[in-house]
Amino acid sequence: MFGQANVLAQGEAAFPPSVGDFYLPSILPWGEHDSYWFTKITAMVWIAVGVLIIFFLASYRKPQLVPTKKQWIAESIYGFVRNNIAVDMIGHAGVRFAPYFTTLFCFILLTNFFAIVPFFQISPNSHIAFPAFLAAISYVMFNWIGIRHHGFVKYFKHSLIPPAPWYILPILIPIEFFSTFLVRPFSLAVRLFANMFAGHMLLLVFTLGGFAMISANTWLAPVSVLSWVMTVALTFLEFLVICLQAYVFTVLTASYVQGALAEEH
Amino acid sequence: MAGDQTPRPSGGPDEPPTGAGQGWTALSYLIAGMLVWGFIGWLVDKWLDTGGIATGIGVVLGMAGGIVLVVRRLGTPT
Repeated sequence: MFGQANVLAQGEAAFPPSVGDFYLPSILPWGEHDSYWFTKITAMVWIAVGVLIIFFLASYRKPQLVPTKKQWIAESIYGFVRNNIAVDMIGHAGVRFAPYFTTLFCFILLTNFFAIVPFFQISPNSHIAFPAFLAAISYVMFNWIGIRHHGFVKYFKHSLIPPAPWYILPILIPIEFFSTFLVRPFSLAVRLFANMFAGHMLLLVFTLGGFAMISANTWLAPVSVLSWVMTVALTFLEFLVICLQAYVFTVLTASYVQGALAEEH
Repeated sequence: MAGDQTPRPSGGPDEPPTGAGQGWTALSYLIAGMLVWGFIGWLVDKWLDTGGIATGIGVVLGMAGGIVLVVRRLGTPT
């Protein structure tokens, strides 16, 4: 990761950036290209987990009635997820899911946020594996909750058979099955992955594009500078996307849990 | 009344999903409808060599199905 500056200065960075740029060299063993056991991405995920555990433990170790600043931040995050996501989407039954939603929200927010932190500068979520696994957890969770709440037969009957006359049911049941049990996990994972992937790609294009132009022709220097100014602007846009995607992922998970708990009218 | 939990206050789990969730649900029904029946139509096409007619019928049928689902699932409960 420290070799990057040299590469850029020598104008050797491959200009259009490719998918290969998302596969960073291994850390352990150092610098190896085909070993993916412990890369920067792995390190970032563990750092995110560590930071979240330590932050929430530390800020709630000695809770006070008049909260300290750290406690206030932790309580605001939890309060936001609890009131504006869990209770808003699910209702009073949602409070018991608030801890999981908060963990999910914070984890996605922090791992996304690595995309614009200097020296991290890539989000683990720009690899489909991480969003896919988070989506798998949400998928198993809402089905499990639904089955436990309604019982196996009633849950599937409720989620597959909409309230409609019998003669259009053959058309509706495949759609219900497809949209509830196939599309949901897929769209959750792809939405987060694609946003983070595209964001990283966009920043790469504008940064590397600047270097490519300046090394191709010195007269293009002003355009290069414009390109880097755009990088700064896009970083702010990235920040918006980062928060939005963490929120959307959590809201949709809450919405699926709500759907699994819903009673038939 | 804080202790009175048995008759659920509004916003309980029997309410239809709110705002964003409802929007995503509607969108996914409409798209899923076209995809599922479009795909089934395409399979029929391959099978009977109808040259795209079955796919077209499937997509239209799926659209109709998606709309019916949105109305039935998310419309005002009667």
